[in-house]
Amino acid sequence: LSAAGTPSSGVMDWIGSACRFASDRNDFRRNLLVNLGLFAAGVWVARNLSDFDLMSPQPVT
Amino acid sequence: MGSVLAASSPNPPPPTSGGAPAPGLTVPPGFGMPPVSPVIPPAGAASGQQQEAENPLPNPGAFDECHRKCKEVFPMQMEGVRLVVNKGLSNHFQVNHTVLLSTMGDSSYRFGATYVGSKQTGPAEFFPVMVGDMDNTGSLNAQIIHQITNRIRSKVAFQTQQQKFVNWQGDAEFRGEDFTATVTLGNPDVLVGSGIVVTHYLQSITPALALGGELVYHRRPGEEGTVMSLVGRYTGSNYIATLTLGSAGAHASYYHKANDQLQVGVEFEASTRMQDTSVSFGYQLDVPKANLQFKGSIDSNWIVGATLEKKLLPLPLSLVLCAFLNHHKNKFQCGFGVTIG
Repeated sequence: LSAAGTPSSGVMDWIGSACRFASDRNDFRRNLLVNLGLFAAGVWVARNLSDFDLMSPQPVT
Repeated sequence: MGSVLAASSPNPPPPTSGGAPAPGLTVPPGFGMPPVSPVIPPAGAASGQQQEAENPLPNPGAFDECHRKCKEVFPMQMEGVRLVVNKGLSNHFQVNHTVLLSTMGDSSYRFGATYVGSKQTGPAEFFPVMVGDMDNTGSLNAQIIHQITNRIRSKVAFQTQQQKFVNWQGDAEFRGEDFTATVTLGNPDVLVGSGIVVTHYLQSITPALALGGELVYHRRPGEEGTVMSLVGRYTGSNYIATLTLGSAGAHASYYHKANDQLQVGVEFEASTRMQDTSVSFGYQLDVPKANLQFKGSIDSNWIVGATLEKKLLPLPLSLVLCAFLNHHKNKFQCGFGVTIG
């Protein structure tokens, strides 16, 4: 165990705080960041993964 | 990436040979979306002024339609059984009957009528347009839209809950060469001294970029206030990105037309008042050869939904199936509808 005040405990505290922030579903800022990330991911999917032709003929095996 | 296609608005009702709308008209003219202008490539400096004269900035359309293209991709939630019968009585007049059998609320019957005048202002636009419907409890919804001049369009709308008026509003829209301005007066009450005034302004900055704003002033005895928001819309070759920012929150939407069959929409909404945010992803699949349209969506509130619409040609019949699941609340809702005419 590291003594209080050492850099490693500070990093652990920061990681713990970040995990609590990321899992707190009642936090508005956290939800805002998560949903902004989801929006960006949705735009990326729409721009890059929606290019398929449904009416193209089936490949002959 | 696939072929680059210009995003296009939904097809307006086809004009008849007599210059009047055909019987069985389901979408009143004037409700359609203005065409989306594709991006014009930048010109050289020497011919810049000449190009500017030859390619003037297009009208950006109505303020309320900025997010519409994306919203139309998402399925509409429906529950119970719905039967709609549309009947065109003449080139100008159409009636419809709607019976809704609900599993959650009260079942209802609604009678609607649509009148379209003979003043033609565009390929499929006729004015005045009068739309109204009343349900079995006596609640009325009515709208009158008229093109007063080439550039000014006005609308008056009423809504009652049984015998009590709950909403009455009038608005006037002015469409300039490269801008649109709208003033709306909502629920004015001179006796009490209350009402709402909404002003919209949308300006084309470039052929692809439009910027605008909305100002809402509301007043009632002892209280008054204003809310302002700004909007920006960028139109690409096959996509439209729109952002609305205001003190009440933010709304961002991205519409992408992948090809003739597939359209995708992503929406982000944040409300500072409700302290809530949400993201929705939706898509629309059109298979004209099968007379089929499928819409699906999923959002950050763990709600998954889909609607399937199929035209049963050669019968004038259209079938709609709808299902929505809320995984977070363990709720399921489904709907079935038939439209005749």
